[in-house]
Amino acid sequence: MFEPKRLHPTAILFFGIKTLRQSLVGLLPVIILALNDGFVLYTILGILFILIVVVGQSFLSWYRFTYTLEEDQLLMEQGVLIRKKRTISKHRIQSIDLTQTVVHRIFGLTKVQIETAGSDSKTDAALSSLTLEDGKWLHDQLKIKQESETSAITSLENSEQDSYPKRVISLKSLIIAGSTSGSFGVLISLVALLTFDLDSFVPESFYNKATTWFIGLAMEMMVLLSLLSILSVWILGIFSTVIKYGNFSITRYDRELFITRGLLEKKQTTIPLNRIQAVGIKESLIRQPFGFATLYVEIAGGEINKNGDAQTLLFPMLKKQSIPTFLKEILPEYQNVPNQFSPVSKRSLPYYLLKMIWLPMLAIIVGIIFVPNWIYIPGIALVGAALIGFSQYKTNGVHLSKEQLTIQFRLLTKETVLLKQQRIQAFEQNQHLLYKWHRLANMKLSVLNNFTGRHYTIPGLEMNLVNELANWFSYKKE
Amino acid sequence: MRLPPNKRINESAIKAWRLFATLIAVIPLAVTVALFILAYYFDFSVWIGIVALLISLMESIITIIVIPRLRWNRWRYQIFDEEIYIQHGILIVSQTLIPMIRVQHVDTKQGPILKRYGLASLTIYTAATTHEIPALSLEEASELRDLISERARVEQDDV
Repeated sequence: MFEPKRLHPTAILFFGIKTLRQSLVGLLPVIILALNDGFVLYTILGILFILIVVVGQSFLSWYRFTYTLEEDQLLMEQGVLIRKKRTISKHRIQSIDLTQTVVHRIFGLTKVQIETAGSDSKTDAALSSLTLEDGKWLHDQLKIKQESETSAITSLENSEQDSYPKRVISLKSLIIAGSTSGSFGVLISLVALLTFDLDSFVPESFYNKATTWFIGLAMEMMVLLSLLSILSVWILGIFSTVIKYGNFSITRYDRELFITRGLLEKKQTTIPLNRIQAVGIKESLIRQPFGFATLYVEIAGGEINKNGDAQTLLFPMLKKQSIPTFLKEILPEYQNVPNQFSPVSKRSLPYYLLKMIWLPMLAIIVGIIFVPNWIYIPGIALVGAALIGFSQYKTNGVHLSKEQLTIQFRLLTKETVLLKQQRIQAFEQNQHLLYKWHRLANMKLSVLNNFTGRHYTIPGLEMNLVNELANWFSYKKE
Repeated sequence: MRLPPNKRINESAIKAWRLFATLIAVIPLAVTVALFILAYYFDFSVWIGIVALLISLMESIITIIVIPRLRWNRWRYQIFDEEIYIQHGILIVSQTLIPMIRVQHVDTKQGPILKRYGLASLTIYTAATTHEIPALSLEEASELRDLISERARVEQDDV
């Protein structure tokens, strides 16, 4: 009844490319050396040999790779020399992704990735190439059993039928998202640099009547060039955002969220609702003044982006004030976004400042001793650090309602996180001697996300407030 | 902060920690001795060795005599029906609450030093954190391990 299945034969190609890419780094120097020494014939023979081995090995890996969908688990067998079997229980699946790269789309194929909460940093199950129908079939079969099967399958196939709440991103907000992403920061810093008096960056000894004009010109050229390159980085950033998150849409089904995105590489992600550990709102320094924010969820599994964040986007760009309506529609479980937060204690301000400025202070002391002329650089850093410390102090706060704890905090980016009591893995409060004397305490909350968990710390809260929070969390009331 | 938990860890913990600290203290003492030998054979100021000796003596006194007692004195734990409550820390006192239903698994461990004093450590894992109670008598540790895993055995549908 449960037949083992193979991947689509194009998987041989994907296996092969993967092996080649891995071995290329090691082989390239050898090849170049050999070519330089004139062993052309041997090199070609060697490359041919390696190609044959790779093709054979890819074919065998494809041949050996089978998956079987059983009653309530997925069984995978793979490996040429070392045979590996893995079973994944349906009840332990955290999320299912279907990804289509450009190559996949040409052949009408898809890649299926299944995440569980396991501590394996790689994807728990990756089926590199399946036909789209097979992929969708597998996806529907693997969803939680209680799911009324008809609804999800039909609505997956004809998504025009809009009986479920759905949100799509507009091109305008995508462009805003792209232009305020990380690359924008580089632009800002350059403009800031230009508005500075440029001369102050050139030490006086450089000034020599004969070369002033030349250096001035060179400086201008350099500035122009760097301005151009930074501008192109910025525009590239916009393009890559548009390509990555183009056609972003999120649909709420009875028991899961369904997200699709991507212009070139299409990606579909299914997140069962009961896997959501926390919901967060991010307002970066650039976006906050314009009132824009990003919405994400913490789940176990999910991709890790290049910044090392392991959060899964719910929506790339939203007006802050429209978030409650968005959540009400898509994720009503988390629709209460409070406006008022109990701030951290006034007595904690010195600690917030001290934590940020001790390093620049040290730099200033070292600077005074060794390079007194450049003292303004750590000086600026000191002012900046103090400002960051102060805004952290102003931002941080908590809000407690019966079923939800909301925390707001900032490192640079302002984050608001909505947490349910039954999703918090551990609650910690701590204080050192000075805090004890000041009647202050730090609070640390841990929730599950990929493997290390996510830990939120709010320093310098009033001790009474932390006690109240501990009572809310604890089963033993005091 | 809340009222501290009511149970202390085993008092032999102090002895075990002292033994461990003594073994560690051998390293700075060895460095000091090496400095003296170098000073004897090469043209090398003896004062560096003397400073190193003072520092390593201070370090030994603090880590061997002072810290184990303070640490033991602060360490408390309490196992409720629905949660585990732990307090520890010398300079920074921290109190942690772990709900039973969040516990994934529990370990007991016994290294050679703990074994000498009939002790074992108990480690509690949630999906996001780990917590260690460092020194319990071996029987107590196994009892607690079984008790916690018994109480943690609740249908966990969401992890």
